[in-house]
Amino acid sequence: MTAHWFTYCFQEALASLGRQRVSVLLSVLTIGAALLVLGGFLLVAVNLDRAVSTWSAAAEFSVYLDDDVSPEQRVALNTLLSSHPAVASREYVSKADAVVRFKRDFPDLAAGLADMPNNPLPASIEVRLNPAKADGVTLEAFARQLMETAGVADVRFDRRWLERLGQIAAGVRWAGWILGAVLLIASVLTVATVVRLALHARRDEVDIMQLMGAPIGLLRGPLVVEGILQGGAGALAALGALYAAYALVSGRVLALLGPAFDAASFGFLPARLSALVVLVGMAVGCAGGYLAARHVR
Amino acid sequence: MYGRGIYALRDVSLVVEKGEFVFLTGPSGAGKSTLLRLLLRQELATEGSVKVAGRDLAKLTPSQAQSYRRAVGFVFQDFKLIPSKTVLDNVGIVPRVLGATSVQQQRRTFQVLKWLGLQHRMNAYPLELSGGEQQRVAIARALVNEPALILADEPTGNLDPDLSLEIMNLFRDINSRGTTVLVATHNRELMRHVGRRSITLDHGHLVETA
Ligand SMILES: Nc1ncnc2c1ncn2[C@@H]1O[C@H](COP(=O)(O)OP(=O)(O)OP(=O)(O)O)[C@@H](O)[C@H]1O
Ligand SMILES: [Mg+2]
Repeated sequence: MTAHWFTYCFQEALASLGRQRVSVLLSVLTIGAALLVLGGFLLVAVNLDRAVSTWSAAAEFSVYLDDDVSPEQRVALNTLLSSHPAVASREYVSKADAVVRFKRDFPDLAAGLADMPNNPLPASIEVRLNPAKADGVTLEAFARQLMETAGVADVRFDRRWLERLGQIAAGVRWAGWILGAVLLIASVLTVATVVRLALHARRDEVDIMQLMGAPIGLLRGPLVVEGILQGGAGALAALGALYAAYALVSGRVLALLGPAFDAASFGFLPARLSALVVLVGMAVGCAGGYLAARHVR
Repeated sequence: MYGRGIYALRDVSLVVEKGEFVFLTGPSGAGKSTLLRLLLRQELATEGSVKVAGRDLAKLTPSQAQSYRRAVGFVFQDFKLIPSKTVLDNVGIVPRVLGATSVQQQRRTFQVLKWLGLQHRMNAYPLELSGGEQQRVAIARALVNEPALILADEPTGNLDPDLSLEIMNLFRDINSRGTTVLVATHNRELMRHVGRRSITLDHGHLVETA
């Protein structure tokens, strides 16, 4: 409709919110609590996802070679590796290099190794993966292909637990949405009740406007806007509280995870998800407002 | 008919021509307000039909009903002013919100407020006004949109005789420009002065039309 209509709805909604401060606070807090739960789960899920992707980026694929691998077999293997999109880079580790590494990583056991007549450690190719192209299914297939390649003794890669972690992240996200949805439905009803109280307080005015021929949309508009404003306020409150909690806890969590975890990849909800939380809040408010507005007929 | 089988109006058959000025009179409780409410579609007739300009009010959709009401100027017996809005907002909030902000529209608002001697009270709130002033705001609101039909329920009940006469003259002027006017009143003197057709109701029955 017109700009006047818009301004009118806003002014009426704000005036009405001002009159009903206590009950409005109640519904803002209800929406806020629901979105805090949803946002909290999303925050955990987002950071689990981030951990999965940083760790995947660091993930390696070790291809162990037979001791009697022929130069032709190695060339064929290298061609295979360099042509695969998931492979970012590779490094050849000779049997001698393997011993050096073993001595560095496990100095206590190095003596035992020295006693052996010939070097038991295999040569290997360490493959760094490109995380963007290294999804689980592709890697499983690639690993199987490598296993069957001549000259390969074994293939190891530490994808499985990362995948498990990815599944946990997805589970946390779903739990957040489901729990959030239940709480949000309760919030819709709270908003509807609060807006109805507000409607009750200005029922005379609405009735008069109706007798003067105001279109129903004009009478319902302020109520819906009232709901939307409550929802938006609740969402902002939830984001604020979530950020405060995040700021308090994140340092401790990082300390707990230790240096293995890259602090830079740990963070708050990205802008798009935060905006989504606000939108969800406003949608909840809108639904509540509309439920109340239906009483104007 | 209101609940519990009470008929507020019964066997009332009445035709008002376009452009007529008609008084509606009768003792308290006779059904004058009820008849006017039916004409605003504030109530729906339980039996029979109410037609305005050939259209049965009961058959209007909600949005048609609202647009019909915008074409009617109604002065309520109990004024029905919005306490939280100023005189200016009470007079014409609906068209203004719907976007009617033409200079002409504004001039019309000031003109009507001036006719009713309210130009100095535009920014007052209804509760800051005397009963007579409130009644005049209610009249201003009914006139401001140049409605095709004016329905006035005791529009001069709170006004002194001189002012009442002035208001009736105002209605007569407006009527002379083609607007149909229905005024419910107890005031015989006023009716005599204006000298138009009058319809008398008693206990919901049409008893006399003169
Ligand atoms: N909402 C209602 N419910 C039940 N009965 C009603 C209602 N409104 C009016 N009545 C009854 O209908 C009858 C007509 O009322 P109405 O208000 O039309 O009278 P009136 O002629 O306007 O009287 P007055 O001169 O006192 O304004 C009365 O007997 C009244 O008690
Ligand atoms: Mg009456």
